[in-house]
Amino acid sequence: MSLPLPVLLHALAAAQAAEVAPALQLLGQPGAPDANYAGGTAATSALILMIAAAEIAAVPAREAACAAAARPLVGAAAAGRDARAAALGQLLAAGDARALSLLKAEAQAEWQVLAGLMLPPPVPVE
Amino acid sequence: MPAEHLARFLSARWGEPVSITGLKRFHGGSARQTYRFDAIGASGRREALVLRRDPPSSLIETDRLAEYRAIACFAGSDVPVPEPIFCDPGPDSFGSPGFLMREVPGGAAAGLLEPEPYGEHAAAIGQKFFTAMGRIHAADPAGASLPAMAPADAAAARLAHWQAAFRADAFRPEPLVDAAFRWLAAHLPPPPARISIVHGDYRSGNFLHDGAGRLLAVLDWEMVHPGDAHEDLAWACDPLWSNFSGRPAASLPLAQAITAWETASGLTINPESWRWWRLFAQVQGLVIWISAAREILDGRSHDPVLMFAGTIPYRFHSLTLAHSLEGLN
Repeated sequence: MSLPLPVLLHALAAAQAAEVAPALQLLGQPGAPDANYAGGTAATSALILMIAAAEIAAVPAREAACAAAARPLVGAAAAGRDARAAALGQLLAAGDARALSLLKAEAQAEWQVLAGLMLPPPVPVE
Repeated sequence: MPAEHLARFLSARWGEPVSITGLKRFHGGSARQTYRFDAIGASGRREALVLRRDPPSSLIETDRLAEYRAIACFAGSDVPVPEPIFCDPGPDSFGSPGFLMREVPGGAAAGLLEPEPYGEHAAAIGQKFFTAMGRIHAADPAGASLPAMAPADAAAARLAHWQAAFRADAFRPEPLVDAAFRWLAAHLPPPPARISIVHGDYRSGNFLHDGAGRLLAVLDWEMVHPGDAHEDLAWACDPLWSNFSGRPAASLPLAQAITAWETASGLTINPESWRWWRLFAQVQGLVIWISAAREILDGRSHDPVLMFAGTIPYRFHSLTLAHSLEGLN
């Protein structure tokens, strides 16, 4: 995901207090001005919590696999998503197709986490 | 949004005491806060209205007057839009810049993850959806008070717009976006035959339908601008808005969608432009999702909708962009 996991978790905690808990108080009050909004906010928050939980479970194995795959190409920079992305980006800018293959594989692995939440892979429109 | 605020505003506008009932905020739509309500005057006058106003923190920074003018441009035309009523570009009327429209009754909008949102009416909806888009592109941009633009500037202007947004909001290495920007800058498409009104976010989910194959209203004009009509076509046909169906806007097959658009717009698709704007659509999407995540990262928002944008659509477009870059030369 674009947001680093610690940032997402911190924001989620803040959202529970600032947005979700007040929203849940409105769910049983159909006449309240924000009752409709409350349902959507609570549902979206629940989805993000599920993604965060799936991500926590998936990160160690994915990180190890992506680092191992990139190490022959970028050496020590393979460890850590951002360092790896920066190093692969430099190779990609120089026209190295292997860097693009590795970045695609990592994007596929990141989407695979969402597949656990019953999201199918992107389907081309052609 | 306190009902008292709306009551005070409408009482002054109608010249009679007005009460507000049924105030409801719609979920989603992070570029605007959207509320519906019933206004009831002392004389018995009753109107169902929708307020769209700026939130404190937005997915995208946009111009509410431009949105209002675009809706007003098509009000009463064969492009269905809500009836515009009043716009205040300042905070006086609604607490933040915003505008009022008449409510479109009985309408539903598709959700991003909803499978087959139009059911057996998908083809009928698609025909109307792409025809309405073509009609927008056939209209004179001056009618929406859009600034003049030279056709040769259309692609470069949008590229510069999103490059600037990316530079401002990116917070970690994004090598796929960097590579796509390089390719787009090096392969600008030919100028369009004419400058069109570009809706800017024309897609499934941004229109109301009646559940029986009728398009009720095109919504969410906050990103309207002058430009190349291919931009809207490519965005509308992006796989993200296909609800995993493989059909543009989860509606009809791509070839039929393009035919409907060409027929209504009087334009012909240019394969070179189509290829460029399809890649551009993914890059635009990624920058929007990155900007949403940046709002969270910087603590300007705790809205779960922005977290959603920074996760599912971000990963979707990262993956499709990687596939697209492999197919380029």
